[in-house]
This record gives sequence, structure tokens and C-alpha cells, in this order.
Amino acid sequence: MTDRVTTPYEGREPAAWDSSAEIEAPLRLHNTPVPTEWLDYNGHMSESCYLLAFGDSADAFFRFLGIDEGYRAAGHSLYTSQTHLHHWKEAAGGDRLHLTLQVLDHDRRRLHIFHEMRHDDTGDLLASAEQLLVHVDMAAGRSTDLPDHLYERIAAIQRAHRVLPRPDVVGRPMGIRR
Amino acid sequence: MAESPSPPAAPFPAPFPAPFPAPFTGYRQQVRPEWLDYNGHLTDAGYAIVLSEAHELLLERLGLSAEYRTSRSASMFTVATHIRYLAECAEGQTLTAETMLVDADRKRLRLHSELFADGVLAATGECLYVHVDTSLGRSAPLPEDRQEAVDAVQKAHAGLPRPAHLGLGVGVRP
Repeated sequence: MTDRVTTPYEGREPAAWDSSAEIEAPLRLHNTPVPTEWLDYNGHMSESCYLLAFGDSADAFFRFLGIDEGYRAAGHSLYTSQTHLHHWKEAAGGDRLHLTLQVLDHDRRRLHIFHEMRHDDTGDLLASAEQLLVHVDMAAGRSTDLPDHLYERIAAIQRAHRVLPRPDVVGRPMGIRR
Repeated sequence: MAESPSPPAAPFPAPFPAPFPAPFTGYRQQVRPEWLDYNGHLTDAGYAIVLSEAHELLLERLGLSAEYRTSRSASMFTVATHIRYLAECAEGQTLTAETMLVDADRKRLRLHSELFADGVLAATGECLYVHVDTSLGRSAPLPEDRQEAVDAVQKAHAGLPRPAHLGLGVGVRP
């Protein structure tokens, strides 16, 4: 067992951004099987591990944008401000999962994204996660504008994702509806 | 042929205190090294673990935890989780929770917690649970005794102030 949480992409250099390349809609940057250490006593993937998988997909997305260890060492990072998870179906050990990521909205310092996790063989939607991320100056401990190059990349991704439907759970508050 | 006996009822966790603590504050846990990210801070999924452990404690008091699952073939399933991250948590800090039952009906429970690290508010988390009959694989009303326990907690928590962010979704607001 590792002594901390790691992602499969740690230490990986981001590929150079190619502004002429077509941007996938949604982005599909992360696949994973369900490892046995994610299972609960029922043999199902336990709740918090969904967020680990979405976190790994987010890390792949950060590297796609150009945010890696070097960027963070220079003092800035994207922090998660909110996460809203929906659990739709169970996943079992060994199931192969693929994750997608859609940019819904952004401004100079905030990024609103939507993840989906699907079963590879059946295509069934297992879980979704809506997240609000904030660009942070880590030394000052507060939010700050994205540098132009990242802002432009995020804007390009959002433009490419305009063709996608807005998922109906987005922005939906939690509650018991009667 | 004799009818198959109905499964034995899980013993209700006694004593059920009156008045029930409002908010419920049973949870206490140190930030564990395996929950840390590359920064040495509690990782996103770590907050979800802590939230679910804190809520599990309240479910246990309601008689809806592990023992219930095995004896009644029924369980609370998490439908949705909403976490607001407010402060970083470091290894060794003590995490505590103030949990309230926000709403309930015959099949569903909605819990909200404030999570504190060494007494400082670090996150809020809200979960929606549905009661599932695991032998049928679908939602089912709570049995009478559990419903009574839920009603008692709901009554005890009715006077708690409702957090202003309840009922707000996620989004970029101007």
C-alpha cells in the first residue's frame, strides 16, 4: 500500500498543446479497471473510490491543459471547490471503466466541468460528477486569474464542447422530491 | 410444509437517547497518511471517505448500518453526494463532524454535515440515501421501528438552523 494517494499520471510531462488539433467532445482521457482494493464487503466498488477515479481523470485533464508538477511547483494549481456526485449503477471488481470529461462553463479563474463514468462493455452510465474548480495562488492561499495560455485552452475546449447536450443533472440541487 | 420463518429482526441499537443530540457529533478521526495527495493535504476523495464514515455513524444509531444489512437484506444506498471544499486538512489533524438529518420520507434520508479539522470548518457535505431491499434489488419503505427512529431524529433536528447553501446546485455564478 502506498503511503499517500497517487494518480496514474504523476510525473508525466504534458504533451505540447496543439492549437490546430481537433478537440474531442467530450474528452476521453482516462480508462481504468476496478481494482480489488476499491471493493466493499459486497464486491462492489465503494463510494469514495468513484471520486478517486474522477480525480484521476481530472489529473489527466490537467496535464492535457498543461498543468503538471512543474506548473504547481511554480505556485499555482486548480483546486476543487465543489463536487456533486450521482451514483447510477454499481461496478464490480475487474469491470473496465472509461471516463469522459466535458467543460460546461468557465471564467477567468473558475472552471465548471462534468464527468461521466461508463462501463466499457455495456456502455452503461455508472456515475457522474459535476465539479467546480478554482485557479489558486497557493502561497497567497487565494484564487487568482488563469494565465492567458491556460485561459485560451479552456475557452477552446468549451467552444468544442458546445455541441454536447447539457446533462440534465447539472445545476440540480439535492433533495427529496415529492 | 412449514412456512419459512421471517428473518430475525436486527436488534435495535440501544439505548436510543432522548433527546437525540442535535446536531449529532459522534465522529472523531485523525487525517490518515494514506488519504493525502502530492501536496500533503487531504485529497478530494478523502473528504468523501470522512463524510461517509461520519454519516455511517448516524445510520448506525438509526439501526441502519452493517448489522441491519446482514439480518434484513436491506441497506441504505447513496444516490448523490455534494461536497463543498472550504479548507485544506493536513496529516494528524483531528476531524470531527456535526451532522443533521435534513429531510426524510418513507424511503429516503438526506443528511448534511459540517466537517471540522482541529475545530476549523473544512468542508460541508450532503448525501441522499435510499433504502433498498437488496433481495429484490429495489427501493422499499423503512420498517416501522427504523421509521420511528428516523422520526425521532427528525424531530430532534427540526430546530437546527438550515445551512444557507442547502438546495443550491453547483455552478459558476457571477
